[in-house]
Amino acid sequence: MIQTVAWIVSLIFMLFITIVFGVVVLKSKEKRDYDPIKKKWYKARSFYGTTLVVFFLVITIYTLRELPYNQPVYGEGKDPTIVDVEALQFGWNFSETEFKVGEPIEFHVTSADVNHGFGIYDEDRNLLAQTQAMPEYTNKVYVTFDEPGTYDILCLEYCGLAHHLMIQSIEVTE
Amino acid sequence: MSSLVNKGELKQRNGQIASYLIIGAVVIAVMMVFGILMLLAQGGMLNLSAANFYQFLTIHGTGMIGAAAFAAAGVMWYFLRDYVQLSKKIFTWNLVLFLIGVVMVIIGVFSFEYASSWTFLYPLPALSANAWGTVGALLYLVGMLVLGVGFLLLYIDTGRAIIKKYGSLGKGLGWDVISGKKAEKDAPPPTVVASTMVTIVNVTALTAGATVLIMNIINVVNPAFTFDPLLAKNLTYAFGHIFANSIIYMGVIVVYEILPRYTNRPWKSNRIFLIAWTMSTTFTLLIYTHHMLMDSVMPKWMLIMGQALSYANGLPVLVITAYGALMIVYKSGIKWDMASGLAFISMFGWTVGVVPAIVDATIVVNHVMHNTKWVPGHFHMYMGLGAVAMLFAFMYYLAKVDSNLETTILDKIALIVYTLAIISVSGQFLVSGAISTPRRWATHFPEWMGPALFGGIAGVFMFLATVIFIVHFISYIQVRGTSTGSDFDDKKVA
Repeated sequence: MIQTVAWIVSLIFMLFITIVFGVVVLKSKEKRDYDPIKKKWYKARSFYGTTLVVFFLVITIYTLRELPYNQPVYGEGKDPTIVDVEALQFGWNFSETEFKVGEPIEFHVTSADVNHGFGIYDEDRNLLAQTQAMPEYTNKVYVTFDEPGTYDILCLEYCGLAHHLMIQSIEVTE
Repeated sequence: MSSLVNKGELKQRNGQIASYLIIGAVVIAVMMVFGILMLLAQGGMLNLSAANFYQFLTIHGTGMIGAAAFAAAGVMWYFLRDYVQLSKKIFTWNLVLFLIGVVMVIIGVFSFEYASSWTFLYPLPALSANAWGTVGALLYLVGMLVLGVGFLLLYIDTGRAIIKKYGSLGKGLGWDVISGKKAEKDAPPPTVVASTMVTIVNVTALTAGATVLIMNIINVVNPAFTFDPLLAKNLTYAFGHIFANSIIYMGVIVVYEILPRYTNRPWKSNRIFLIAWTMSTTFTLLIYTHHMLMDSVMPKWMLIMGQALSYANGLPVLVITAYGALMIVYKSGIKWDMASGLAFISMFGWTVGVVPAIVDATIVVNHVMHNTKWVPGHFHMYMGLGAVAMLFAFMYYLAKVDSNLETTILDKIALIVYTLAIISVSGQFLVSGAISTPRRWATHFPEWMGPALFGGIAGVFMFLATVIFIVHFISYIQVRGTSTGSDFDDKKVA
């Protein structure tokens, strides 16, 4: 799950930064001439900076390979189910709410009034995908459910006092 | 430079600075209370109506950003005045307009139940589903506009003063040094470079903010006047992202100024430093689109740019500023006290907060973490442990150099408690985000409640620590100007 990867990666780097700052604090009471320190650590910075740039470039290229904005390539004769979704204060209008496992679905999401967020949650309340529901615009989400069950659509953009009550269930069967 | 100013004038000037800081700090403390109440409500420990929750949400966001920006502007002004001639009148006008704006916002939110959150996404101010009316919306939006005008005047003045002294804003950023026309030894000092950057980005941000506020105001008065929601969203996030981030770029000036005094090591601008600040200027202006990664109707190149440049924007802090702070402290024999301790912690907070921010700016991650509590997780870290710690560092520094007030063991305990508490608050937000808890929800499902409750309790400790910081600063205000010697700055901290 992407969330777990994000959390572990963040923890590792945050821990590394904590250790570096901690070591510097521990070494701060010693007093040494600044020039040799500058010379040594400027040199180290060139290596560190270059490594970081290369690392960011690699991660950027890797993570931009497949974007959620891109329409998937569907197999022949396997046209997606288009589901029109309209958000409104404070509910959802769906053209369809029952789907099959493996059925490619395109949610075409808009809003009748203010900005809302369209978040698809599984039964364990993990967020699977989302997009913004905007007036005058239609955003698309491409989903194929792998597991049967009841999925909830939660509003993920603050839209007024009943924002947290905007929940709609959809069913996915075998 | 302080030694060039006579003591009476210094006392008067520091009085204005102290006003900025005390107003900012008190508002921040009060906003913490609203934050705690919201977390306790989400944790199931407190019964808040949805109306109250979203009013608290609105005032918390508005108040935190406004107050921190206000206090940070005071910090920037304090140090920048040593290099350029700033207008005291404009500084006072900003204070007056800030207070007027704050009063309007408070009345709008609490008397007229206005609750659009501080992002006021069009057309929510006008379309509240009858939760609030025209008067509440107008009080809030016009109040924000008044606040913005005050800040805009201030940055126009800093821009004017920098241009007058250095010739242009480009030269304030040291472009003539970068291009080799000028020697590194003649580069503008870090305070001027940072102030130039903030001037450029905030004039842009405030212009964008004023535009979308005015359009919202017209829409509230006359709903027949409509405008493009996507344009409105772009303007809102351009304003919000840049203005919020400028707080840290103003706050870091205190780190540039005081760590060299505490370590007796210079922190001067060189070519790499100047390039880093030009990168920060450019990227800060451009990366607001990472707030719109879930708007697939946006041009795809803007969203890809949002990710790529967000990564790139981490480089100046990770490679230059944080690294510089670590180098200057390493084996320096520094004498740790409240000001130097908070300044160093603030650099830690900023750096460590960059990590979850960069992770969230990754489009495939944002797809499942946007508008979850991961977002407040990272910004509480680099704002709470970063920017706000910078403000507190300055408060202790000013009290030290402008009075004979001593800190006590209570202050030191407060520093430890504050650090642990804000790490806990940020951490619970990140955990909540990792388990998909949406942000800005008045109530939580049971499985989401635990971290929120923990955060609310940690918030209480953070508030108590902040109160101790404020009490120390109020004690300073009562005895300010009692420090001996006109060049006390350097003597006291060395």
